[in-house]
Amino acid sequence: MAGTEEIQQPTSEIAFQSKFRWSDMIRVDGRINLRGCLLLVTGILMLVNLYMIFMVAPTDAVLGHVQRIFYFHVPLAIVSFVAFLAVFIASIAYVFRRETKWDNLAHASAEIGVVFITLALVTGMIWAKPVWNAWWLWTPRLTTTLILWLIYVAYLMIRSYAPSPSKAAIYGAAMGIIGFADVVVVYFSVQWWPGIHPTPVVGPLADTGSLDGTMRSVLLFSMLTFLALLTYLIMERMALQDTVDQLRGIRFSLRRAARQDAIPGD
Amino acid sequence: MPDLIALQIELPSSNLPWLFAAFAVSWAVFFLYVIYVTRRQQEMQNQIRQLRRAMEQQETPEGD
Repeated sequence: MAGTEEIQQPTSEIAFQSKFRWSDMIRVDGRINLRGCLLLVTGILMLVNLYMIFMVAPTDAVLGHVQRIFYFHVPLAIVSFVAFLAVFIASIAYVFRRETKWDNLAHASAEIGVVFITLALVTGMIWAKPVWNAWWLWTPRLTTTLILWLIYVAYLMIRSYAPSPSKAAIYGAAMGIIGFADVVVVYFSVQWWPGIHPTPVVGPLADTGSLDGTMRSVLLFSMLTFLALLTYLIMERMALQDTVDQLRGIRFSLRRAARQDAIPGD
Repeated sequence: MPDLIALQIELPSSNLPWLFAAFAVSWAVFFLYVIYVTRRQQEMQNQIRQLRRAMEQQETPEGD
């Protein structure tokens, strides 16, 4: 019983230690807290971004205020492609080097990429309802994006159902490399199969002068903001993965110690 | 032309709820995701601390 009390005692101490302090956002134990700083910068960028979307960007003459969804929808889609590009690169690196850090980067990027692409689909549907008078149309762009979403949800499911972490890493790497092909298909879909979906306004496929100068600046700023958010979220998710690996290591050594104790004569 | 002006006046206010919905959903999802990651991180760290303490206690001879 005394032992139990001794273990329970530090739990309150942990609760006390985990109290939030604003100063920890910048510096922890005399070292700069990179994640905290990035969170702070992203928060400021988000506030400025909202100001620019609602106060600086002009109202679209035809679509009205609903067009402002575009400043969230387009960056969410583009940044999800960046996340899937990170999965692709990290998966190739893992296949050649077999280092856990690459697998962790691929896993974190895929999970956050799924969050971003889900939001891109949802915000697109919210935009489509008043503009197309339909939540969803089976246009090539929308269909290929839905396939992309399914590919990366499958990636996460395959990883979680894999029998061991090493198998999860290799299955994930294979899927991360093959799955990236659909990102290319999604981007070029409006050129290959023209339809009702608006054509790209940024990137190599964009027409010059397709977007007003102020609108373009706000869109580019929004992309920068979402890139900062992506970087912060990937770092946060990788830190969580490090903790999961650490916990797995401790449990493994505890089990090994228990097994050695159980062997008679040792 | 009067039709276009009427459209410009009518549309911006009529579709504001859609704009609000899109931004509200995005923000809600981001906050929920960050809360999920942070809480899992805290739980795992607490488990690590408790396991480390348990290991230290196991390593300490019973007589001490």
